[in-house]
Amino acid sequence: MRHPIVAGLTGLVLAAAAAACSGGSSSGSGTSTITLWHGYTDAEAKAITSLAQKWNGEHPKQQVHLIFNGGNDGALQKTLASFVSGKTPNIGYEYGSSITTLAQRHQTQDLTSLVNSTAGFNWNDFFPAERQATTVNGKIYGVPALVDNLALVYNKKLFDAKHIPYPTANWTWDDFRNAARKLADPAAKKYGWSFTNDGTEDTVWRYLALLWQAGGDLLSPDGHKSAFDSPAGLQAMQLLHDMAVTDKSVYLDTGDQQYQQLFNSGRIGMLWTGPWDLGSFDQVQYGVQFLPGKVTHATISGPDNYMLFGAGGKKQPAWAFLQWLVSPQVHLEFATATGDLPIRQSETKLPGYSAFLAKYPGNKVFMDNLTTNATKARPNIPQYPKISQVLGVAVQSVLLGKAQPQAALDSARDQIDQILAGA
Amino acid sequence: MAVLTAERRNERHARAPRRARSADHIAGWAFTSPAVLLIFLFGLVPVLWTFWLSVQDTDLTSPGTFVGSAKYRQMIHDPLFWRSARESLLYTVLFVPITLVLALPIAVLLNQRVRGMLIYRMAVYVPLVTSTVATGVIFSYLLNEQVGPVNGVLSKLGLPEGGFFQDPGQALFSVVGMTVWGWLGFAVIIYLAALQNVPPELLEAAALDGCTRFRAFLKVELPLLFPATSFLLVWLTINGLQLFDEVYVTTKGGPLHATTVLVYYLYDQALVNFDGGYAAAIGVAVFLVILLVTLVQLRIGRRMSYESEASR
Repeated sequence: MRHPIVAGLTGLVLAAAAAACSGGSSSGSGTSTITLWHGYTDAEAKAITSLAQKWNGEHPKQQVHLIFNGGNDGALQKTLASFVSGKTPNIGYEYGSSITTLAQRHQTQDLTSLVNSTAGFNWNDFFPAERQATTVNGKIYGVPALVDNLALVYNKKLFDAKHIPYPTANWTWDDFRNAARKLADPAAKKYGWSFTNDGTEDTVWRYLALLWQAGGDLLSPDGHKSAFDSPAGLQAMQLLHDMAVTDKSVYLDTGDQQYQQLFNSGRIGMLWTGPWDLGSFDQVQYGVQFLPGKVTHATISGPDNYMLFGAGGKKQPAWAFLQWLVSPQVHLEFATATGDLPIRQSETKLPGYSAFLAKYPGNKVFMDNLTTNATKARPNIPQYPKISQVLGVAVQSVLLGKAQPQAALDSARDQIDQILAGA
Repeated sequence: MAVLTAERRNERHARAPRRARSADHIAGWAFTSPAVLLIFLFGLVPVLWTFWLSVQDTDLTSPGTFVGSAKYRQMIHDPLFWRSARESLLYTVLFVPITLVLALPIAVLLNQRVRGMLIYRMAVYVPLVTSTVATGVIFSYLLNEQVGPVNGVLSKLGLPEGGFFQDPGQALFSVVGMTVWGWLGFAVIIYLAALQNVPPELLEAAALDGCTRFRAFLKVELPLLFPATSFLLVWLTINGLQLFDEVYVTTKGGPLHATTVLVYYLYDQALVNFDGGYAAAIGVAVFLVILLVTLVQLRIGRRMSYESEASR
């Protein structure tokens, strides 16, 4: 445990040994079994299990076998290990950020022709952010499994107590900053806003939303150079500096997600968060609104994908199951059971959609975000993880008051241009 | 002729014990072979594999290409590598002596005959049994800059509050504090065992010679604790240079790389950037540094324990 590389390699050896001992998963007599690795827990695990049972009941010759991968945080690493061992799942649930790493491996299936040739699959029915997240260099490597985005979630009681009007869809950065300042009382450990400050992608994607709101972008349109060291990029950094350092109205979360507890206990007034958090806010009366805006009210979406792996043999049955799993009626059933957002626009036109909204009223704003504000996506390029690391440090240094916004941007720009140049 | 027979006789004499010895050898190997096989498979093979990986350009899953010493040259010119080496060194230089210095007096205290001693001993040992991940989670709650109980107490007492894991200047020291807490029990137990091995006759003799209890500790017990100290020194140094879990759970190498120690940097290269060759090269560097430090420590340890034996 204290020697990760050794542990990791040992794991690979063990996996290879295990693969050598057991053969493939297909059993004779014309029945084929496909495996799906997932990291679902609780309601999601229950929902996917019941859907798989339904499928298996209707398709005795094309069985689906669900395998819990221990949690989606480690899905990428485990999938890669399975490439070495040969015991690769036919379908895997993967974070959107994993797609560039996986798309470079020959085990990962290119789905472009299947997506375009399957009658009734209706690719454009998926929300734009999802389609962008499945696509690397113009090729489609995944099918949307989950979509979310960031919206402003606020504690109504705290707003009432300070006589601040509730956020509107037209809120500006200034409105937002002023409200956060009024809500905050650092001496009493009360904060207007929370920002995840662990320097990982969790920090970076929030900055990207700010950058887009100010009208900027991360990279140049051709993707060869950085573009965030711009007036827009500076405005976004400046807002973080003004709120975290000058106003001290921001709770800086170390990544252990204590902001959830603190919001629940009324010590943080506003969050930028996604639908996944709403279920845990059972002790406060909260409202949900679009993110505040500068030029736009852009939000960022982090879609996850189902991806197909392994040699072509089981591509067809795996595809048949996936096609069914993400079909409008079936997915709406999944969404209603779990509170995850619908992944297709047509789901919102089905009769069951009103029941979904009635069960999860907070999700309405996230759905509206998908069609209006979640139009941009992170670039799907192999260098992105490195770019994200550099940007994470830059944002962190501003939040902690260790660097001035312009200096942080300059330093990050130089490093990222080097990464993009292949240095 | 006579000479020859004598030689032959000698040979015959010599052969019998040799045969017995080789039978012993076979039995010995038979008994140890399962362990040897496991150590070979899970200890030596990965180490050799790491060496092999370090001369390749590989993402760990597809077959790599041989690049010779390129990854080592990359390492030498990588400022973040040197920075992480510095953090590791600083961490180890603080972690090891602090743990040792705190452990000894606690072990001496726990070596008394007092009612309920078992409870005290257990209390000291519990942190070691606690998983490092749980330790990390608890400490990041306790040391939360904005809402943590430690800062709550400090501000009640009118003392300046700490930034701890959130402050680049304090994060590494916070990790030192947390891991010393976690490892103290281990060092205490080793010292306690060594103290209990001190023959009571020696202390009795010292007392008869008019030696005070404190002088007896300095002159009799302390020298006898030397093997324990040198063992702890090696063990804690190895663990210090391999620090990973606690950093991963609390700071993820941040803020601003302040706690990016060598093995965390290695993890980052291997499983975030998927530069397997470079990660392996860092692994080799860590391996060689630990090997070197351990050899030096063992050499010094052996010499000093000879000296303390000679002076006895």
